[in-house]
Amino acid sequence: MFTDKIEVKDFDKMNPEYKELLGHVLTIQADCEIGGPHLYVEKMLPAAPTKLDQLIVARTAAEEIDHFRKVARVAGDIGIDVSFLLSQPNEKRFVETFRGLITTWEDNAVFGFLIDRVGRYQLEEFYDCSYLPLQRILPDIVTEELGHIEYGYNKTVELIESGDVGKAKAQKAVDYWYIRALDMFGRTGSKRSERYRYWGLKRRSNEQAREDYLNEVDPILKKIGLKVPDPNQGRHFA
Amino acid sequence: MPQPVENLDKLDEHLKAVVQALHGAVKQGIPHVKEPQIVDNAVADCREILDEIMAGHVKEWLN
Repeated sequence: MFTDKIEVKDFDKMNPEYKELLGHVLTIQADCEIGGPHLYVEKMLPAAPTKLDQLIVARTAAEEIDHFRKVARVAGDIGIDVSFLLSQPNEKRFVETFRGLITTWEDNAVFGFLIDRVGRYQLEEFYDCSYLPLQRILPDIVTEELGHIEYGYNKTVELIESGDVGKAKAQKAVDYWYIRALDMFGRTGSKRSERYRYWGLKRRSNEQAREDYLNEVDPILKKIGLKVPDPNQGRHFA
Repeated sequence: MPQPVENLDKLDEHLKAVVQALHGAVKQGIPHVKEPQIVDNAVADCREILDEIMAGHVKEWLN
């Protein structure tokens, strides 16, 4: 296992595999950060139920754009240009979850509750990682992601408490996003995931991170009165 | 040292300005959510800024 800590100045000396994996993970992270606003801004900024919610949609987008900026800076400093992601159509996003458009408020709420939570898990993978410039941008990004998750959770609970129709909408959205959330962790037994851990770029295997997520999310779903979807139904990555 | 991406600083500055402008518009609207004219203007400002970013004409931003 690689245990050194790397700065920008050390990057050129690194093993090609390390360079390739770091470049790849930064590109994916940048894509996920900017992929969020591209999913919800178009329809949710005008359609949010209150003026305050409209402004919070805009603030969330601002924070995600800033996360993209920070990741793009870390990537750009080692010669990885991720600016093309700013004009990438949604259907070309690296992660399938970000391909498409959010068109309902319940999807927007559950997206924050479940998918931003996966985002937090992905960022937590880099805690104490071997590439210090990446580690340094994490605290502020994670703090803001926690706000997005809490807002999504609160809006999901509001829907549930609004009555049977709202609860059914929330359940339908959970059924959709839960499976996508689990797929976002990637394949069980992934060789690439093993190499990320070897190089100190990630902490957990895909399956361990997914298991931790399930252990966190399932009790919350039960607590708020929703059914936990079958975690194997409709999955692309087992 | 690795060679940084061309125009990295310019893009960083542009996005920083966009984020600040968005936060400014949001902060202007939030205390006035019950005053339609002010809050509608704030939302319209957010829309305009976000439309530009979502359009993703990066080359134009950097010129």
